[in-house]
Amino acid sequence: MAASAPPPEKTEENPILWVARPMWTAARQFAKSLVRPSTIIYPFERLEDPKFRDEVQVASGKPIGVGHVWDNYRGVHALNIATCISCNLCAFSCPDVCIEMVTVPGGDPKHPKKCPQIDYGKCSYCGFCSDACPEGCLSMTTRYELSSPKRADLVYSPQKMYEVFQRKLPMSPIRLERPANEDAILLDAPLCIGCNACARDCPTNCITMLDIPKAVAKPGEKLPRRIWKEPVVNDSDCVRCGTCISVCPKECLFWGTHP
Amino acid sequence: MSEMWINMGPQHPMTHGLWNLRVKIDGELIVDVDPEMGYLHRGIEKISEDRHYNEVITLMDRTCYVAGLAWEHLYIIASEQALGVETPERAQYIRVMTDEFQRIASHIMWYAAFVQDVGLMSPFLYGMRDRDLVLDLFQSFTGGRLTYEYNRVGGVRNDMPPGFTDRSRKVLDWLMDRFVEYDHLCLGSEIFRRRCDQLGVLRAPDAIALGVTGPMLRGAGVPRDLRKDRPYAVYDRVEFDIATAEAADVTSRYLVRMEEMRQSVRIIRQVLDWLDHHPGPVLAEKLPKWLGAPYAPVGREGYLLRRNYPKGVGFSSVEEPHGEAQAYVVNEGTEHPYRVKFRSPVFANIAACKKYMIGYRVADIPPIMGSVDICVGEVDR
Repeated sequence: MAASAPPPEKTEENPILWVARPMWTAARQFAKSLVRPSTIIYPFERLEDPKFRDEVQVASGKPIGVGHVWDNYRGVHALNIATCISCNLCAFSCPDVCIEMVTVPGGDPKHPKKCPQIDYGKCSYCGFCSDACPEGCLSMTTRYELSSPKRADLVYSPQKMYEVFQRKLPMSPIRLERPANEDAILLDAPLCIGCNACARDCPTNCITMLDIPKAVAKPGEKLPRRIWKEPVVNDSDCVRCGTCISVCPKECLFWGTHP
Repeated sequence: MSEMWINMGPQHPMTHGLWNLRVKIDGELIVDVDPEMGYLHRGIEKISEDRHYNEVITLMDRTCYVAGLAWEHLYIIASEQALGVETPERAQYIRVMTDEFQRIASHIMWYAAFVQDVGLMSPFLYGMRDRDLVLDLFQSFTGGRLTYEYNRVGGVRNDMPPGFTDRSRKVLDWLMDRFVEYDHLCLGSEIFRRRCDQLGVLRAPDAIALGVTGPMLRGAGVPRDLRKDRPYAVYDRVEFDIATAEAADVTSRYLVRMEEMRQSVRIIRQVLDWLDHHPGPVLAEKLPKWLGAPYAPVGREGYLLRRNYPKGVGFSSVEEPHGEAQAYVVNEGTEHPYRVKFRSPVFANIAACKKYMIGYRVADIPPIMGSVDICVGEVDR
């Protein structure tokens, strides 16, 4: 406890030194900051501005080029509507459930094209959606100014994110390579009724319905009601979005490893 | 003799977050203290049970907002054990490097806040400025300045951008000069020494008995560091010394943290040399399907259609900037962890405050509590 502790040692230094040493350090820093300030004048100078990057290397007292660190920034998303395949993977991967798939014009009227709409009031900018995007159409830019008087303005429709895309802001260059996973979509053949739902909804059209020979019923056995077709998945085109698994009425498609 | 209770907190410049220190005073003398935690409880352990293994990482950054990467590392070790995933060597080195950079950033943040508690203003500005350099480095490879989301089960998200190691070495050289300046400002100042010497003394037997860890324990002369005692990742392959000090007071905690930052610089230099010469993958090649970049879908009823996936249990303990943090993850064969449990070092450090607060004056409370390095986010989770 405090009572048992010995008193601090008394030094014989000139008391002026107690103050002079820290003040000398502070004065040196002050003199440096007059030549090269550590801050920038924000609304007029922007760190993410490519034109400003070379200047900031000189202007700031920092030993690294601050501009380079903006290459991988996670800001507002840019969406290329033209290459979006409506696979739903961004919405699946979102931890905050802020992505909703909404219909955009220009699709087949029977099966409308759906693109992500992001609510930035909920978004935590984790970047899982752009990591999950198999086509690279959803990526994150260096834009970060979102303030608006209405909360509804924070919901960015696909068209609004397409406008961000058209501005050609620097986008995160580091993309996750698609892992060479051995898992594939497998079929539990006896359960399949050949309903074509998986092939119809597949965003990449990698499922084809192949004719299979009609089974011969044994005496006393009843054949299942089915169209004699079976889905076959083209693994190289498959983006593993799982749409086929979720639309399958008999739950006969599942994740597995090729035997 | 008139004693009374006063509340320091939950909104008080001393608390560095939302918690309440109730102090019983007799005049200027502290007679009793009673910490109250729980104002920042967000239920992170419960939320984790409803997230994929990788999505929990977003919560880890928010558990401790000054040491996000250290907490990501903690959770990732436990969940990799639970899932039985192997991590490439390069990813392990990168994690060690990010851990040590995070330790420097966290300790500089502590320095800035603590010195302001003592009553000095300009070291706060210097500290925040120098921490920005480390955050710039983090931003260059994670894309975030405070919430990184960088670790993944089975490795890390991406490799370093080109030129990263050279930039880091420049930053380290620059920081080493700044550490000398910090010492000039604090240790060179007799006013600072008279304020902090023999203050908040917590001796080694008390500290061990109360579960105090981290710089507070090492400041009491106990050379206990998980990086040496139970090496995780590749800490057994790098050279460094454990920083200790004998006095067990506020100044010795300052000395331990300053020395730890220098040791961190030493570790990072070795790791950067290794990274220069050993390219390789940073994410495990064979991952369970539902952990890869494209997420597993949910079936019609909203659950994952999977068959025969392994079960397991994972436990990890990591030397976080504040002390020893521990995590426990139970994998019951579903896509979410069945249970996640964390042990926060700061909780134990605050809870021991009766041993190092009673007997001092009211004006001593900010320096003593500042020397604990409190992060309420991880105390309440």
